Amino acid sequence: MVDKRDVAKEIEVDYTRLRIPFGSVHPALKEPVSLRVTVRKEEILDVDVVLGHVHRGIEALAENRNLVQTLYLVERICGICSHSHTTCYVQTIEEIGGIQPPERALYLRTLIFELERIHSHLFLLGVLAYEVGFDTLFMFAWHVRESVLDLFEKITGNRVHHSMNTLGGVRWDLDQRLIDDVRVALKDLHNSVRRIYDFFQDKTVEKRLCDVGVLDKDTAQKLCVVGPTARGSGVNMDVRRDHPYAAYANLNDHFSVVVREKGDAYARTEVRLLELFESINLIQKVLEELPDGPIRVEDNVIRLMRRIPEGEAISLVEAPRGELLYFVKTNGKEGLWRLKVRTPTIPNVLGLKPMLVGCEIADIPVVVASVDPCMACANRLAVVDAVTEDEKIVDMDYLRRRRRKTWKL
Amino acid sequence: METLIALLLAFPLVFVISILFDGIDRKLHARMQRRIGPPITQPLYDFLKLFSKERIVPTTASSAIFTVLPPTAAAASILGASILLATLLFGVSIGGDLIVVLYLLAMSSVLVMVGGSSSGNPYGAVGFSRKMSMLIAYEVPLLLSILSASLKVNSLSHYDVVSAQIMAESMLALAFPSMAVAAAAFLICIPAAADAVPFDVSEAKTEIVYGPLVEYGGPFLALFKLAKSASNLALTLLAATLFFYLPAFFGEGASLGLGSLIICLVFALFFWFLTITVPRTVFARLKVGQAFKFYWLVALPLSVVAVLLSVLGL
Repeated sequence: MVDKRDVAKEIEVDYTRLRIPFGSVHPALKEPVSLRVTVRKEEILDVDVVLGHVHRGIEALAENRNLVQTLYLVERICGICSHSHTTCYVQTIEEIGGIQPPERALYLRTLIFELERIHSHLFLLGVLAYEVGFDTLFMFAWHVRESVLDLFEKITGNRVHHSMNTLGGVRWDLDQRLIDDVRVALKDLHNSVRRIYDFFQDKTVEKRLCDVGVLDKDTAQKLCVVGPTARGSGVNMDVRRDHPYAAYANLNDHFSVVVREKGDAYARTEVRLLELFESINLIQKVLEELPDGPIRVEDNVIRLMRRIPEGEAISLVEAPRGELLYFVKTNGKEGLWRLKVRTPTIPNVLGLKPMLVGCEIADIPVVVASVDPCMACANRLAVVDAVTEDEKIVDMDYLRRRRRKTWKL
Repeated sequence: METLIALLLAFPLVFVISILFDGIDRKLHARMQRRIGPPITQPLYDFLKLFSKERIVPTTASSAIFTVLPPTAAAASILGASILLATLLFGVSIGGDLIVVLYLLAMSSVLVMVGGSSSGNPYGAVGFSRKMSMLIAYEVPLLLSILSASLKVNSLSHYDVVSAQIMAESMLALAFPSMAVAAAAFLICIPAAADAVPFDVSEAKTEIVYGPLVEYGGPFLALFKLAKSASNLALTLLAATLFFYLPAFFGEGASLGLGSLIICLVFALFFWFLTITVPRTVFARLKVGQAFKFYWLVALPLSVVAVLLSVLGL
């Protein structure tokens, strides 16, 4: 039983330094993350990022599933960049098994990859517009995003979790009719993206985004920030160009890496806006150059899985939010010893502190959104005791022990 | 006595009209965003549903202030709008009612603000300080623009300003350049007074979770929302009657009473659309500093010019 007076005492009444809990539930956040912000009037003095509200133990789950089941499991890590996760995972398995997927499969992977980038960036731009209170742009960006989701549904049958990848190739092929559909949709998309780009030149939007949440190049490199967040700070890096995978090695001349030097929220937004155009061009190129041939090496994926020997591999892809890394160690008996996922949000979210200190409260949602955090990749669980307000961090070992206990029951 | 009866009659009218206007505003906002939008009666459903919800007072709140404020705020802004409706409908002249209306509208804003700070929530405290700066930013030009209108007709009564327009058979804003400037200043102040998007810094849901309203729910929230729509109605009706009294063109016979009230209300709805719905559709939210700067650099000089011009007799 908590005494009412005790609770009242703990609320800070010193208005010169106010601690504002930003999250874990807040209208500006799409996923739970907790920022403990200390402010004086409107100015932010300190930020403490607390992760781990959406831990689901996926890495541990993968250890008692077989390789194909894990493929569908890792897809569920993220609802927005699901194809990035499966591609990265499949690449490690293919490397261990020495499987070379056919050319057409690689091109199709690239196609879905770039469509996913478009849909993810449109999602973020909409959220960003919502954070600055520009609901009309938010509605429009998500309306446009709907057309990309429809394309996914036409190609793979699913809007969110596409399940396009399989060991040694992809699961669905494109016929001529679908290719024409994609071409037509891309043309509309190009016009709509153009309009969104113009919207973002609006004076009020610029006022909210420019010179807000600045992350300079040195800090960005020290924190190993990745993806559009790094490119907005002038770090010229892109896995698609630096370590080509899928069909990117052949398409190297057809896209450029967008880099902005300023490092503020607007630079990060602009990088994403321009990447939308790059992605549209890339997809057009993919459709032009799509080679003929089979789309996978083996129709029976179970037979293929049995051939995967014991081994370990690392793979990198450029997910919409940045560099995504997978480390996989197989046990040679259809299963996994270890699956390690390093999602781009983990380094990016660290950049929040240098970005936010010195800003105003009004900038918090804008800056947080401009990093595009995807919280589903947090790796621990925080348990808060409501009575004593103690916090425990639940780690993997603890979860394993709990699991063994549960199994015994 | 007559005045009191007129006011009492106008009370339910204000309730219905402000909720209806709110619904139309939401519908138009949605249509401009290519959404279907809620039915026009949605704010009424919201109001009724919120009233059926339980009343929650946080343990950290000073509960007496917390619970008394919402009904007071609603009463203040409905009374403000009723005074305007009553003068139009029954032709009652209340001396100095312009000051009373402005006072009531400012009071309902201040009460929301105080309610936020009494909740004990840090977001409420931030909302309090933001609302305070916004009040300082827009109240002065709002007051000055109305002052210049009353200087023009030499009276502080709403009825006198309206009847002056009927006598002149023209709108104030069209008849005098000073009044055109004053009307512009007044219209610029409406979105801030209504907490519409470019200037909704005190509520800013993605930043401070509706600021002062953060701990309010159920009937309290319903009353605060009603207070908001009623004060929006009062503001737009003020614009439609003080500066743009359209029925004045129809000659002396048809210029007061139900017909002219309806014309004024339609015109008020137009101003609502112009100053609340459109800005919140086409702009992003400003920060406190930016909004403050806008009012002190644009609206305040405009209203000062209006006062100077009307003193000079233009």
